[in-house]
This record gives sequence, C-alpha cells and structure tokens, in this order.
Amino acid sequence: MTKINKDIKLSDIPRHNVYQVPEKYFDRLPMQIMERTAGAGYTPAPWYVAALKPLRLALAPLVLLLVVGVVYFTQLKDQPEQQVVNLATVTDTDIVDYLSTYAVLESTDLAELTSLSDQEMTAEFLNVSSKAAEEELEYYQLNTIDY
Amino acid sequence: MEDKELLEKFANPDSRNLAFNQLIRKYQQKIYWHIRKMVIDHDDADDLTQEVFIKVWKNLENFRQDAQLYTWIYRIATNECLTFLSSKRKKFFLPLNDVAAELTEKIDSSPDIGGDEIQLKLQKALLRLPDKQRLVFNMKYYDELKYEEISAILGTSVGALKASYHLAVKKIEEFIKQD
Repeated sequence: MTKINKDIKLSDIPRHNVYQVPEKYFDRLPMQIMERTAGAGYTPAPWYVAALKPLRLALAPLVLLLVVGVVYFTQLKDQPEQQVVNLATVTDTDIVDYLSTYAVLESTDLAELTSLSDQEMTAEFLNVSSKAAEEELEYYQLNTIDY
Repeated sequence: MEDKELLEKFANPDSRNLAFNQLIRKYQQKIYWHIRKMVIDHDDADDLTQEVFIKVWKNLENFRQDAQLYTWIYRIATNECLTFLSSKRKKFFLPLNDVAAELTEKIDSSPDIGGDEIQLKLQKALLRLPDKQRLVFNMKYYDELKYEEISAILGTSVGALKASYHLAVKKIEEFIKQD
C-alpha cells in the first residue's frame, strides 16, 4: 500500500464521486426551492422602470449639474442682499467711529474736502463745522507735504 | 431547453414559474455538487444550493445576457461557498487548518461519504488547499470546465488559473505520497 502511494499520480486515481445524497433528493429539491420562491415574493418591475433604466446614468450628471447651478445662483443672489441688510443695521455713529478710527486719510480725500469748502456741509454729515475743517487743513499745510 | 428560451419564458409572467422550475432541474445537480465538494456536509450544501437558486430567482431579471447563464449561476454558487466558509471561520474563531480538520473529520465519519481509501485521501488532500485553489481544482478536475469558463466565473486570468491548478495537483500528489 505504502509503495503504491509513493508512486501514485493524480491521473491514476479514478474520478469517482465519494459523496452521496439522500434518496430522491434531486426530485424534491425543485419543489422545495419553488415553495421558497413563492415566499420570496417576486415582484416584477413596471414597464416604465425598465424603460427609464438606460436614462438613469445619463440623468445623474445632469441632475448634479442642475443642483450645483441652483445652489451657486441662489448664493450669488443672496449675498448682496445680505450685505445691504447688514449695513442697514449699523448706526451712523458706528460708521463715523469706524471711519475716524480705521480709515486711512488720503490726499484725494483732503482735496475733495477743499473743493467743498465753499459749501456749508451740515455738522451732522461731517461731524465738524466748516471752520474747524478749514483750520485742520491749514494745520497740515498740504502744499508743503511731499508725496 | 436552451438558456435563451428559458430566459424568454421567465420574462413572461404566465410562464415564469414553469421556466424557473426547468432552470432548477437543468442546473441543480451541477450546482449542488459544486457546493458539496466545497462544504462537504450535505445539509450545508442543501441550504446553500437553495440560497443560490433563490438569488437566481430574485436577480434573473437583471441578468445581462452577455455572459452565459450557467457561468452566472456558478459565480453565485462560488460566492455563496466562499462566504459560508469564511463566516464559519469567523463565527467559531477557527483558523484555516481547524476548518480543514473539521471537514476532514466529516469525511471519515459521515455515512453519506463513501469510496475507497485513495479516493478519500484525495478528498482530504483537497481540504489542505486554500479555498480558491480548491475551487479551481474542482472546476477543472471534476466539473471539467475550460480555463476560459473558470476565468469567467472567478474573474481570474487564465494564466493564473493554470498556475493555480498545476500547483494544486503538485500539492495533492505530495500529500497522497505521505505515510
């Protein structure tokens, strides 16, 4: 036996099926499966599902593009309104305070102010009298400043 | 009945059940034996065979006819086998060798497994192989499928399948020569 095993090749072994099934197993199996398929409840898809199936792939990128477009334009539209609303809530005093603290005064601003010197600007608008503004301008002596 | 005719009948609600019954009768033995050689136990093979055909029933409508029907059913059966063996290992925290040992024990003790000593030894040798290599061996050696057909079922290249089969034969012959 040992000698036979040492020389044996796969091709020497007969292709015999060593497994067995219960009697009439393959006669009963289709019926058992069919009973289970009744429980599985096959529901065929309606005709329009099958008809729309090839369109699904094509529609997906279009829908995505549409959503992106709508979101983009909605945001674009909302943005200026939001700014207007925000500015409207700021009081004049706060705006003047902000400008006097952070705004950089440039020569063009001063030149513009000079051109307005003959007009009586309301104290409410400039928060200074025209005389005080003139004095301030004289103090800086624009002509002597080298730009 | 040809597969094409079966599929046409299945598409018709009036003849669906009849067509599916014929489909089961046509493929049940091939699928059952394919599964049985992998899981060894009859009850497991019976459960898995039924599961395979339930999946075929549920998905046959989506079957694309660019593949052959039996290739598609074989693929479902193969996946069921691999999932079953994998979950068996995970469920009982068993390493590969312990599952092989358990199945080997079934070969020795099960009343519905018979054959002479060398044939039983061949079955035990097969259990030493990794699952996928055992699948390749069974499909080539027992089911006598072509490499191209096995390739379509497993999604593996023909070259890799040839190498896997020849390595399996070598391992089996070495195992049989032992003792």
